Amino acid sequence: MIQRNSFKRKTLPALAMAGPVSIWMILFVTLPMLYIIYISFMSRGVFGDVVYTFSLDSYNTLLDSTYFKVIVKSIKAASLTTLLCLLIGYPFAYYIANKPKEVASKLIMLIMIPFWTNSLMRLNSWLLLFQTSGPINKFLLFTGVTDTPLNFVYTNGLVMVGLITSMLPFAVLPMYSSIEKLSKSLLEASADLGASKRTTFFKITLPLTFPGIFSSIILVFIPSLGMYYVTDMLGGGKVLYIGNIIKNQFGAIRNWPLGAALSVLLILITGLLIFIYTRFAKIEDMEVV
Amino acid sequence: MSLSKLQKRKRFGELIGMIYSIAIYTVLYIPVLVMMIFSFNDQRYNYYWNGFTTEWYSKLFSNSTVIGSLWYSIIIAVLATVISVTIATIGALGLRKYEFRGRKFINNMLFIPIIVPEIVLAVALLIIFMKVGLALGMGSILLGHCTFCIPYAVVTIKGRISGDGYSLEEASMDLGASRIQTFFNVTLPSIMPGVMSAAFLSFTLSIDDVVMSNMLAGAKNSTLPVLILSMNKSGITPDINALTTIMILVIVIAMILNNKIKNALSKRKKAEGIL
Amino acid sequence: MKKTMSILLTMILIMGLFTGCTGTNANSESDKAASSTELNIYMWQQYISDDLIAKFEEENNAKVNLSYMSDNADAITKLTAGGGQEYDLIMTCDAYMESLVDGGYVEKINFENIPNASNINDSYWTAKEYCVPYLMNYIYIIYNKDTSPVEIKSYNDLINPALKGQIASIDGARNLFPIALVALGYDPNSVNESEIAEAYEWLVKYNDNVVAYGNAEQNLTNGTASVAFTYDGNASWAMSELGKDNNLVIADFENDPVQLGFDLYVIPKGAKHVDLAEKFLNYITDPEVMAANLVEYPYSCPNDVAVQAASEAYRNDPARDFDYKQNVFFQEDVGEAITIYNDYYQKLKVGE
Repeated sequence: MIQRNSFKRKTLPALAMAGPVSIWMILFVTLPMLYIIYISFMSRGVFGDVVYTFSLDSYNTLLDSTYFKVIVKSIKAASLTTLLCLLIGYPFAYYIANKPKEVASKLIMLIMIPFWTNSLMRLNSWLLLFQTSGPINKFLLFTGVTDTPLNFVYTNGLVMVGLITSMLPFAVLPMYSSIEKLSKSLLEASADLGASKRTTFFKITLPLTFPGIFSSIILVFIPSLGMYYVTDMLGGGKVLYIGNIIKNQFGAIRNWPLGAALSVLLILITGLLIFIYTRFAKIEDMEVV
Repeated sequence: MSLSKLQKRKRFGELIGMIYSIAIYTVLYIPVLVMMIFSFNDQRYNYYWNGFTTEWYSKLFSNSTVIGSLWYSIIIAVLATVISVTIATIGALGLRKYEFRGRKFINNMLFIPIIVPEIVLAVALLIIFMKVGLALGMGSILLGHCTFCIPYAVVTIKGRISGDGYSLEEASMDLGASRIQTFFNVTLPSIMPGVMSAAFLSFTLSIDDVVMSNMLAGAKNSTLPVLILSMNKSGITPDINALTTIMILVIVIAMILNNKIKNALSKRKKAEGIL
Repeated sequence: MKKTMSILLTMILIMGLFTGCTGTNANSESDKAASSTELNIYMWQQYISDDLIAKFEEENNAKVNLSYMSDNADAITKLTAGGGQEYDLIMTCDAYMESLVDGGYVEKINFENIPNASNINDSYWTAKEYCVPYLMNYIYIIYNKDTSPVEIKSYNDLINPALKGQIASIDGARNLFPIALVALGYDPNSVNESEIAEAYEWLVKYNDNVVAYGNAEQNLTNGTASVAFTYDGNASWAMSELGKDNNLVIADFENDPVQLGFDLYVIPKGAKHVDLAEKFLNYITDPEVMAANLVEYPYSCPNDVAVQAASEAYRNDPARDFDYKQNVFFQEDVGEAITIYNDYYQKLKVGE
């Protein structure tokens, strides 16, 4: 009787609520990932198919210094993107969060609207704007700032612009919500007790909004490791990051086992980074928006 | 009345903040503006500015492929948003509230679609769908989109569930409300901002997705981003710019209308209140 | 109770998605016996005239569903993952044919139903039983004679340091390595590792001169690049975009051969509407039809009869006016050596 009651009171609701998401994750994430891990231990067939015989070839290939270089390079670029997004995004989120709720929600909406247009088109716009015969160069030539057109396209600078404009909302949203949740009375109390604005910011605001900052880091850093089309389009395809290499293994090169092994490696690296981070910051759950 | 020093500083801060945000919005909107301007470009592909024309707008309406793919994208984005947010909302509550074996595992699984490059999951799903004999098409794209929307939605909603929500729920149930009543009257309103953000994020992720859609699209229809990606070999034709321009205008008009209606309604409410 | 209901509902919804899809699958299975009314083609975007498709639909009382790839690899990925039976015709290129045939991914074509195929010049037609060539591409060099600091007469001119940051190039290991191998005097489809390694060294110098991979026409017409390594069809766009007195010229090669590639149709294994696919192949190889198609899409074409029937403008296109057309080489399957190519290609892109 008691057992039945506890089933009805606890197990059933738990099943009902956490069930669908769990089933979905197991069916469409765990299973595919197990398959990916499985083929990472297989070998590549002559025709680019997967030959189902056990081999460690793919993992041996990863020991090649080329991949090490790519990973280091990718992490560097993603870190720079993340850092810039945080530095640019935090004051922006802070500004929005201090607006009345009505206004703030509209301002947030304004950030998202450009993202409802196609990302490839938006990237292409940067090329059209900055190309040799583009409006920026024409303006510079006209005003006499320069005599010959400047080379903006296919530079690291433009790739950074593309990455930051693509990732900024994912940095702003979580930080906005954690700043907004910050209790005003706490800040007032701090001021009343004689703390300067700077002290209040560094001792209260920043630590309390840290969960939001952490979410921003995850949401910007990890996807920018895999954003291959930005470097493809704005970097002129001359630079490869880990995302490009994985994409190529599944696409043009057709070495699925190696692509799978690279993915496993990427999951391990990011998993490790998150683990270290959560330990270091003592955060149990990610908070976003 | 002279302004106090504090007020002056506050005003100055406000001004700086405003200039700063306008600068950021400018950078975010420049590509959109360039895109709109190039919808009037008199050139077969958008290589550079070649002169003004409006012919792309008339061509657009006779191009059923482009219009069709836009509708297809919108339908998929709406369905993916509804399914993901429904599952994610009850899922986030369940994962927060109940301790069960495997909870940690599911929590970790939620990170995977955020971590792995989309192409990996897309290829894996493609192979699995082919193995079970699921035909490619809207169903397969939807399953794919929900798979990456759900984690973002769960993470977003979880952040909104506060600790004191539980006591409110208990109080509601102590007062005789059923679980369903409690869910709709107490729990849901308290996490509504999170749910809305999750819906927003899911819609945005789905409507702009290229990689997953490209892999899982069937023979009959493709989404707009996939169509645009396939134009990469020859060049993007300006009718796509025209379409995007119209989309942006529709969104902006809808927002202004929404605002107007809201204002009118609240005024009426106020007026009724006075009466 | 209500909660279980809601969960059940969700589950039904998800299951509905599955069954809904497999349901349509079953339908298309059942109408296999009767003559097909639906044709699913997977090919390049901007590569076939819409009017001709509409005419075919009308003549055969059928619906043609075109979907587009963004990369040759897309088609191969779909075929190898088992998604081929979704389509009735898939476009791929000659370089992939050998592995597609050996891997058993494509159906043999019954040419009795495609009499018009005899219009196609078969001197370069590989894997003849399994594919029908559609259009072809020379991959050659064009440059702006006013802005290019170098007059280009061979591949080796491309690594002249004077061209730094001047070349817009197509991408891909199997497009880039052959020109390096040819420049060094080796077989463009070499499987010898030391030769490929030498080609890699050559390409490092080439890479220094490349401003961007992809978007060659855009970069050539807007002045970002002065030299392009690209397809003749795309060069044709660039030339017509810049008008009659454009300053683009085709590199006047003295000895080096150019790569010639075919885009062709295959019928994937398990295709459901083979009868209509054959009708379509016969339709598109009809000289009149192909000639009309060439007006809109001025690429090189292996259908000799159609080329003769094509418009004056097409036959006099400056983008195809070069005299070393016979001096060509093809991409061949390099077997296991493909991994050597890929390793060096990645090394090239990763740098230092």
